[in-house]
Amino acid sequence: MSGILASMIDGLLIGSVYGLAAMGLSLIWGVMDVINLTHGSVIALGMFGMYILFAAFPVNAYFLLLPILAAGLLLGLVIYWISVHWVIGRSQLSSLLSTFAVNMMIIGIGTAIWSTSPYNVNFTLRGFTVGDYTFTGNHIAAATAAVIIALALELFLYRTRPGKAIRAVADNREAAELMGISSTMVLALAFAIGIALAASSGALVSTLFPFTILSGAGYQMKSFVVTVLAGLGKPLGALAAGVLLGLLEGAVTPFIAVSWIPLIEFGLFVVVLVAFPKGIFTRATA
Amino acid sequence: MDAVLQIEKLESGYGEVQVLWGISLQVQAGKMTTVIGANGAGKTTTLRTIMGSVPCWGGRVLMNGEDVTRLSPHAKARRGLVLVPEGRQLFPDMSVEENLEMGAYSQRARPRQKDNLERVYDTFPRLKERRKQRSSTLSGGEQQMLAMGRGLMQEPVVLMIDELSLGLAPVLAQQLFLTLKKLRKQGLTIVLVEQNVHLSLALSDYTYVLAEGRVEIEGDSREVANMDEVRRAYLGL
Repeated sequence: MSGILASMIDGLLIGSVYGLAAMGLSLIWGVMDVINLTHGSVIALGMFGMYILFAAFPVNAYFLLLPILAAGLLLGLVIYWISVHWVIGRSQLSSLLSTFAVNMMIIGIGTAIWSTSPYNVNFTLRGFTVGDYTFTGNHIAAATAAVIIALALELFLYRTRPGKAIRAVADNREAAELMGISSTMVLALAFAIGIALAASSGALVSTLFPFTILSGAGYQMKSFVVTVLAGLGKPLGALAAGVLLGLLEGAVTPFIAVSWIPLIEFGLFVVVLVAFPKGIFTRATA
Repeated sequence: MDAVLQIEKLESGYGEVQVLWGISLQVQAGKMTTVIGANGAGKTTTLRTIMGSVPCWGGRVLMNGEDVTRLSPHAKARRGLVLVPEGRQLFPDMSVEENLEMGAYSQRARPRQKDNLERVYDTFPRLKERRKQRSSTLSGGEQQMLAMGRGLMQEPVVLMIDELSLGLAPVLAQQLFLTLKKLRKQGLTIVLVEQNVHLSLALSDYTYVLAEGRVEIEGDSREVANMDEVRRAYLGL
């Protein structure tokens, strides 16, 4: 029994990282109607970013999140200009294809540099032990970092001027222009933040599990599930849905082989889509 | 007379369909100019082309003598060219107060945000009561007040209003017109596109009558109101 409980707590901690990853996808999707298929490969870049930075500066790995967030913002601007800026306002298929193309480029370059063999970040925070189960410090630290970033994003979107401009553009792009808001700038900013969030979630995952340049794909899929559960553009909603997904994983892991988990998750995905058909492509505006 | 806003031979349309065929307007400082015409005459398209929301095919838009034709809508808004669009176009997921805040987004309007917010709340006490509510939960009349209030938060040099009274109860429409009258008295330059020809002719200084994308009649509002063809076609007299 305590095994299930421990597994669920683990799932809960990892789930907040899923939530963080999903926030990146959901912010971009909600604000600009772009399904960003570079999401997974950017998560993988976050993992390797952490690997490289930690090799160069073997400090507490969680402090390295700050430079990774900053680099993620820059990377986001670059990806925006390459793959999104030119197709804004066209059909969703255009941006889907263009971001998919950039995704393949990132994976191709990443494979050339790092091959597809596994890497890991050799950093361990001491955890604590309850009964015969040990909660690793890394899990706790990663979850804490994810929650802090989610709260920061929430504050940014609801309390600051640029954050409100992002919400205004998400709500009504043409009206935002009439207010003097440059929608292009805001879209670029939202995209950059989305990419930074994806990169930071990858960086957190890299402190928990070994990874390859292809590892982002699984987290991208989980991000879709979380986004569908949570709706678009609500950071705390994504966090909650991520935790829910993590809990679910934790609850079933002791009983079934890990390879069955995607089946369960996507079963859930389909159920949510069928039950809330409007939840996915339209924003919940009354 | 100095025209704040001068429109020269404006042409535009949607896709292959040309809607405006060379519209010229002069908007004098401190006056209320009204644009009337049948449905499909190009009133809304005129405002949207002036703003840049619809691309301009030909002609020029001058603001205080400066050519701003090719500027994007946000660049024009930052210069004080303000459009209260048809259908209100609020930010539905944002609160009433946040909608008003977005009005004060530009550098020009920011310093006066607090004063303007108070002024808007004085003018529309209903908005103050509902300031924490999401704008999508407001009634039609309240939404129009919010759209107007948001426009006023922008510190307009020229306030352009598209269909002020559309879909509103007569009492509410009357109230909004009175507000406009007050603003006009305070010296604000206003361009009004209206279905309610009667009221807009009575309130405004100068009137343009559009038909099929061209200016058919123009003149002092009082004179236009007395023209036989206007009385027959638009006032039902």
